[in-house]
Amino acid sequence: MWPRIKSWAAMFWRTMRRPSVHYSLGFLTLGGFIAGVIFWGAFNTALEATNTEAFCTSCHEMHDNVFQELKTTIHYTNRSGVRATCPDCHVPHRWTDKIARKMQASQEVWGKIFGTINTREKFLDNRLELAEREWARLKANDSLECRNCHNYASMDLTRQSTRAAQIHQRWLGTGEKTCIDCHKGIAHHLPDMAGIPQG
Amino acid sequence: MRDKPVVAIALLAIVVAVAVGYAVGRKSAPASSAVSEPVAAAQKPTAPASATEARPASNQIDAIRRGVPIAEEASPPVMAHVENTDIKRVRAYPMQPPTIPHSIDNYQIDKNSNRCLLCHARANADRFQAPPVSVTHYMDRDEQILATISPRRYFCTQCHVTQTDAKPLVANNFKDIDTVMSEQPVQKAN
Amino acid sequence: MSMTRREFIRNTAVAVAAKVAGIALPASATNVLLEGDITQMKWSKAPCRFCGTGCGVNVAVKDGRVVATHGDVHAEVNRGLNCVKGYFLSKIMYGGDRLTQPLLRKKNGAYAKDGEFTPVSWDEAFDVMTEQFKRVLKEKGPGSIGMFGSGQWTVWEGYAANKLFKGGFRSNNLDPNARHCMASAVMGFMRTFGMDEPMGVYDDIEATDAFVLWGSNMAEMHPILWTRVTDHRLSNPNVKVAVLSTFQHRCFDLADIPIVFKPQTDLVILNYIANHIITTGRVNKDFVNQHTNFKQGVTDIGYGLRPDNPLEQKAKNAKDPGASEPIDFDKFAAFVAPYTLEKTVEMTGVDKGWLEKLAELYADPKTKVMSFWTMGFNQHTRGVWANNMVYNLHLLTGKISTPGNSPFSLTGQPSACGTAREVGTFSHRLPADMVVTNPEHRKRAEEIWKIPQGIIQPKPGFHAVEQNRKLHDGVLNAYWVQVNNNMQAGANLMQETYPGYRDPRNFIVVSDAYPTVTAQAADLILPAAMWVEKEGAYGNAERRTQFWHQLVKAPGDAKSDLWQLMEFSKRFTTDECWPAEILTANPQFKGKTLFDVLFRNGNVDKFPTSQIEAGYDNDESAAFGFYVQKGLFEEYATFGRGHGHDLAPFDAYHQARGLRWPVVDGKETLWRYREGSDPFVKAGAGFEFYGNKDGRAVIWALPYEPPAESPDAEYNMWLVTGRVLEHWHSGSMTMRVPELFRSFPSGVVFMNPDDARSRGFKRGDEVKVVSRRGEMRSRVETRGRNSMPPGVVFVPWFDAGQLINKVTLDATDPISKQTDYKKCAVKVVAV
Repeated sequence: MWPRIKSWAAMFWRTMRRPSVHYSLGFLTLGGFIAGVIFWGAFNTALEATNTEAFCTSCHEMHDNVFQELKTTIHYTNRSGVRATCPDCHVPHRWTDKIARKMQASQEVWGKIFGTINTREKFLDNRLELAEREWARLKANDSLECRNCHNYASMDLTRQSTRAAQIHQRWLGTGEKTCIDCHKGIAHHLPDMAGIPQG
Repeated sequence: MRDKPVVAIALLAIVVAVAVGYAVGRKSAPASSAVSEPVAAAQKPTAPASATEARPASNQIDAIRRGVPIAEEASPPVMAHVENTDIKRVRAYPMQPPTIPHSIDNYQIDKNSNRCLLCHARANADRFQAPPVSVTHYMDRDEQILATISPRRYFCTQCHVTQTDAKPLVANNFKDIDTVMSEQPVQKAN
Repeated sequence: MSMTRREFIRNTAVAVAAKVAGIALPASATNVLLEGDITQMKWSKAPCRFCGTGCGVNVAVKDGRVVATHGDVHAEVNRGLNCVKGYFLSKIMYGGDRLTQPLLRKKNGAYAKDGEFTPVSWDEAFDVMTEQFKRVLKEKGPGSIGMFGSGQWTVWEGYAANKLFKGGFRSNNLDPNARHCMASAVMGFMRTFGMDEPMGVYDDIEATDAFVLWGSNMAEMHPILWTRVTDHRLSNPNVKVAVLSTFQHRCFDLADIPIVFKPQTDLVILNYIANHIITTGRVNKDFVNQHTNFKQGVTDIGYGLRPDNPLEQKAKNAKDPGASEPIDFDKFAAFVAPYTLEKTVEMTGVDKGWLEKLAELYADPKTKVMSFWTMGFNQHTRGVWANNMVYNLHLLTGKISTPGNSPFSLTGQPSACGTAREVGTFSHRLPADMVVTNPEHRKRAEEIWKIPQGIIQPKPGFHAVEQNRKLHDGVLNAYWVQVNNNMQAGANLMQETYPGYRDPRNFIVVSDAYPTVTAQAADLILPAAMWVEKEGAYGNAERRTQFWHQLVKAPGDAKSDLWQLMEFSKRFTTDECWPAEILTANPQFKGKTLFDVLFRNGNVDKFPTSQIEAGYDNDESAAFGFYVQKGLFEEYATFGRGHGHDLAPFDAYHQARGLRWPVVDGKETLWRYREGSDPFVKAGAGFEFYGNKDGRAVIWALPYEPPAESPDAEYNMWLVTGRVLEHWHSGSMTMRVPELFRSFPSGVVFMNPDDARSRGFKRGDEVKVVSRRGEMRSRVETRGRNSMPPGVVFVPWFDAGQLINKVTLDATDPISKQTDYKKCAVKVVAV
């Protein structure tokens, strides 16, 4: 087995090293560039296509559970009409993190194929595990996806209710707490929170 | 021919303006009609009673109907806003559950979690400077004090409600004990 | 002086302003007063004025005013807790627009149907009312007068009305608004057990392993019972809660098994569970063989609409919807066999897993089950069937009459059981489960009432919905409404209720404490005393009879319904109301007033006013010269004593925090029909359902049948109506309590966010809810306490400013005649 792979590798190396016989350098460079652009465009289009609410809610697991819950919250409708879609909170915005998250998503594809949460009952049974993953991610990155929109430096505390302003200043302003510490369940219902600290 | 770029830019600007104008016009058309309609509707109930309602308006004695005859339908009042001032309100008597002085929009209170207790539980009240729930909330049916909130008091909103800015349609002449006592000497003098 | 609308609004506004300004702070708030008699408040017990839970409250009185209320720690039902409505009871009597004088529609100094409301004296009010009732009695007979009462009547008020109409005027056109609320439960009990009201008690809550809510939003409608359910569930993780509804409401917050089913398919689920119990071999054969019978009911029974409606003419068994034939277990098993899991999933839209879990709660012999239901079952065109079918599940498994095993029908009004059902103020009933159609029963009632044989008419009168239809048709012409708001509560307002009230042929009297929309539609309004302004008795859902004393005086000239009924009876003589041949045969009754024969009959006037507990007023007794309430109660109690409806002596109830009947030898009964706990069960029987002659309960074979109206291409949504936590009855009291009003100030249309979006609505948008019968205007609510599935809207009906009953359909259960307020087809459109 091993010598065979070795011989294939050697052959490939030779081919790659040898200059082109039939195609001009210009063609190869330009062709390579165009092919690259097309590939890159297709890749990003695919990436963006999977990064929309329509894609996320195209499977009934998401559509019937978490998406329905989102619809009655402030992240779906609010005063100014600025709203968060699934990837705004659940997919990192930085390219490398995004790719990493997309690769993790292969696990979700397995879940879909094997029907891990294909009924409401199964979803509720697994909800704690699913939620804990997101909480851990947001805790680790200091609620980065929240802060993409909700920047403490940009908060005018006088525009908040007294109670909210006080609490934000005391805990968020000092960096002692991060958004997700207090705002679990802000867009979806919480699983059984027995023993899980909130706030 | 030196003007060529200028002409091109001007043409482009016109095309863009037309496109934007078309797009904006398309979007705003239904929106504007949605705005204007309630206004028209709001004027309807203030108009005098219609011919179908033979009886004079002075017979409209149910204040909750806001003066509209039974057979007619008025524009409903705009949705009231929940008061979110955090200012405590007076209680009519000591046993009255205090009304909630802030909004509780989307607070989850179910068997999984109780958002109110995030701030109002005994252990959390200092951190959030919220009034902790009273001692009665730790008692079971037999008035024994429990280690945690009594499950019979778990659903806060059965007794504690928010208050909107809606103006009461009918006054209430309830007098609390202080008022009744303060009126006492006057009654005796009579 | 006629109160114009302008003056009225001005008065209201002034009072509001005074309230808002806050006036001066009372000095006593800042220093401690030590003079005992000044700081003393008089505390007395009373049941809550609102729902059928029957919580006990303590009421504080100072200088003739109620100044505080709180939950009674000694009351078994609630042990010191109240819901938000109960905590604000102190304020319900002090609404700024309390009616304090009779108001008569007058023009040029005389009564006129199109006149303006003018304050009049009680004498003038009764003169006009008497003239109108006598005119109708003379022209058309007792079949054309009628009364609509309530499960909010005190026991003696309902009893006095029953006597006056059935035993005095000889009219059975007396029905309570409990018809809208409990009639299907009553017929369910009668058909299965031969006797009304639950076998179990609230104590079952603490003893059970599983709760199943079949169309009951207890979290909002029976909050204190819900605290007991919550207490038990959260203290015992093994306890399960299943909640079934056509939309998600607050009860789902505690649900282990949440089930949202397509409207009307609860019938399918019920039969599926019966089938599951049978096919998995978990039938309690001993119990079934010894204590039950099987019957198959007729099908295709119509929808209780007007007889000329095509749906009624098409229905095969609309004439005799209650008919049945006996069958056996095998036939029953075959009957429910088609209700398989697959078929049920398909018809109900419910996940398979939830259905199996639910069915197992009933099937597992080790799980004790308590089933609860209210309007989801009762307000159903097959409501009686649904009641029968849930009993099937408890009977097949023998899970009944033992602690924790309890099919429990909850009631809406504070005395739906105590007054409407036990006193028998329905158009076909007499006290203690007796009926006017039975000659034996009529005879017994006439004996107790000491009136001649043949006075009580054998034909049932007009039931609630029929009363509105007969007013509309000009058949019913003199009509008296007490303690309820049927203009707001009755279905199909624009086509049935309103035209009848305003028909010039009809004279409508409304007795109420507040100017409701019903009062507004009346010709004469009588101001009523309410709650602790009179001595009273209510009976709650667990058969608990509770008394209270009069604690304060009613404002102005307001008088209790009891006083009104008795005083009115003085204006009629037997010669005017009874046939000559009966009077000839019983000459001692000649020339007497109805007051004399009904209320001064040696029973009712038996107890002197000196027996009234010291320290309490009793305005009715003072007016009539004898202890009215005691006399009426003791006469009424003779109907049931010795027959399983035994009530304790009058005075015992003023001491106890209520007693659950049957009270035998001073002991209340918790679980009926079981040996050892029910004294009426024969020794050695184990169980005995003695309401039926053979002592057996009936298991009913009944199918799924479609609703009267379903959404179609044009009217494309289901309309469900109901209540919210903060408001009770029609909001006539709660809308006048500022805290309750401000918590939920006006009606809304709860709607699925996608439904709203696809119609171009935003939250708060004004919309019209339109049906084939009428329309109302409201605002869209896509958030809040209810979460609607696509295609279903929920509109609460408490708001007099948004009369949703202009839209609803007056289809009823053909057996119970109770309206289905939970299902009709509407469209929601922009205004």
